Parts: sequence; structure tokens; C-alpha cells
Amino acid sequence: MMEDSDRASTPEEMLRIIEEQQATAARHIYVDPLLLYLPWGVAWLIGFTALFLHFGFDGHGYAPISQDQAVAVLVIAQLVAAPLCFFGISRMTLRLRGEIRAKGTMYGWTWCAGLVAATVLDVRLSPLLSPQDAHLLWGGSMLTIVAVLYMTGGTLWSSPHMFSVGVWTAAVNVLGVLLGAGWHALLAAVLLGGGFIVAGLWWRRRA
Amino acid sequence: MTADKGLPELDPVIHAQARLRVVAALNVLGEGDEMTFGSLKDLLGMTAGNLSVHLTKLEEAEYVRITKTHKGRTPVTYVALTRRGRLAFEDYTRAIRALLDPTGGTP
Repeated sequence: MMEDSDRASTPEEMLRIIEEQQATAARHIYVDPLLLYLPWGVAWLIGFTALFLHFGFDGHGYAPISQDQAVAVLVIAQLVAAPLCFFGISRMTLRLRGEIRAKGTMYGWTWCAGLVAATVLDVRLSPLLSPQDAHLLWGGSMLTIVAVLYMTGGTLWSSPHMFSVGVWTAAVNVLGVLLGAGWHALLAAVLLGGGFIVAGLWWRRRA
Repeated sequence: MTADKGLPELDPVIHAQARLRVVAALNVLGEGDEMTFGSLKDLLGMTAGNLSVHLTKLEEAEYVRITKTHKGRTPVTYVALTRRGRLAFEDYTRAIRALLDPTGGTP
């Protein structure tokens, strides 16, 4: 039997146990940063790179890829990323009960509502726009939803990491929208796609 | 009052590695949030029997609350830190830090 034979001997040792256990628990209980950021990072790096190769700067593309094909690449990449991310979130909600779970469920529905509302708006308005502006409308509105919901998630779970990722997404998105379709795709690919990959790996390593 | 090697008396319920780990892990949850027994077992890397023994001691001290329920037909046990357990953990952590910094910021 264990009984109290495992009594720790020094305060240093006990403090180390407390800190290590709390870090492990936080990683185990909450969503793994790898699942929260890495899938979206990879999806956006691939998808927005395809769009950038289509648009290029000043409307001159760098690869023979149509806008529909580039959008299809982005959509498919996101369809792969979404289940991985939701797996991470649902794994958390299955382990826990209480306020945190209720918040998680409502947060999930907020994502759905935001993405559906933006899609309806974009489908309605994009036929009225040039291909470049239609991209800005789709890309800009979707990334706005992402930015705001990461910031909301950071607020709900007191996660400065998640909140700062939302701020970063909002800043890159706004800059891209102001600069035009090619720039938006390039910045989203490199700074958001690449940024999310680095953030996921970095925070997972440090967790 | 001294215990091991001249240290001040620490809460004996928590002053054991396994139970300290249980309480430290549960303290990460918000107040009112509960974790499944299975998840806590995986997180701590303990056997079910071992964890049960330590949870019983913590429950006797009213530091944890154990709720047995069903999800569909599957029995599920949830574990949470009580307010008393949270305070005990905070006191214990404070005491440990004080031992490491005996001046405690006092002149």
C-alpha cells in the first residue's frame, strides 16, 4: 500500500510537485494547443498559399490555378482541420462537468452561428463584387469571426495565449483587407498559417 | 511546532505526494467544475485502486466531493475539490513558500 510512505521530504520537492502537477493538469484538462492551433495553421498555410498563387500581386498570378480551385483547396484543408480541433474541444467537455462544460457548449454554438451568418452574407453579396473583392469579403469576414471567437475563448477560459492569437488574427486580417486580395492571401498564409503552426508547437512544448 | 527536519507542521492530509498531486490537479478546475474519475486517474498515472484510497482520505477530510451518477447506462464518477479543500491547498502552498522564503518579506 502507498499509505504515507510517499511523504515528500523537502519544501522544494513539494513545490516542484505542485507546479509540475498543475501544468500537467492544465494540459490534460484544457484543449491541447497542438489541436487548437496546428490544424488551422496547416490548413491556412496550404489554402491561402493556393489563393496567393492565383492572385499574385497586382492581379498577376504565379501559378495556373483558378480561383475556384484555390478556394476548393482552402475549403478542403479547413474541412480536415475542423474535426481535429473539435476533437480537442469535445475531449475536454467529455472529461468535465459543471460551468466549464456549459461554457464550452455555448462557445461551440457561437462558432456555428458566426460562420453560418458570415456565409449567408458572403453568398448573398459576393456575386455583386469583382473576384478580388469577393475574396476579401469571404476571407475577411471568416477571419473576423475567427479572431473575435479566439479572443472570446481567451476571455472565457482566462487564456492570454488564446486571446493574443485572436488579436494577432484580427490585426493580420485587417492589414490584408486594406492591402488587397493578393496581400491578404499572402499574409494569411504566412503570418496566420505559419503563426498558428509556430504557436501550437511552441505552447505545446512549454505546456 | 515542528515536524520533519524542523519544518512547521503541514496539513498531514495533503502532505503526501500522491494526495498533493490529486489536490493540485483538481485545483486547476474552476470552482464548481468536476472531472471524471477515469480522467483524473489517467492524468495522475495512478491505478484505480490507489486513487480510490487517496480520494477516500481526502473525502473524509471533506477536501473533495465525489458524485456517482450515470451517463446513459454507464456509471460515471465525478470528482471535485470542495471549498474547504481549495482553502487547505492554498494554505499548504503558502506554508511551503514561506518555508522556502523564511523572511516572508517581513523586515
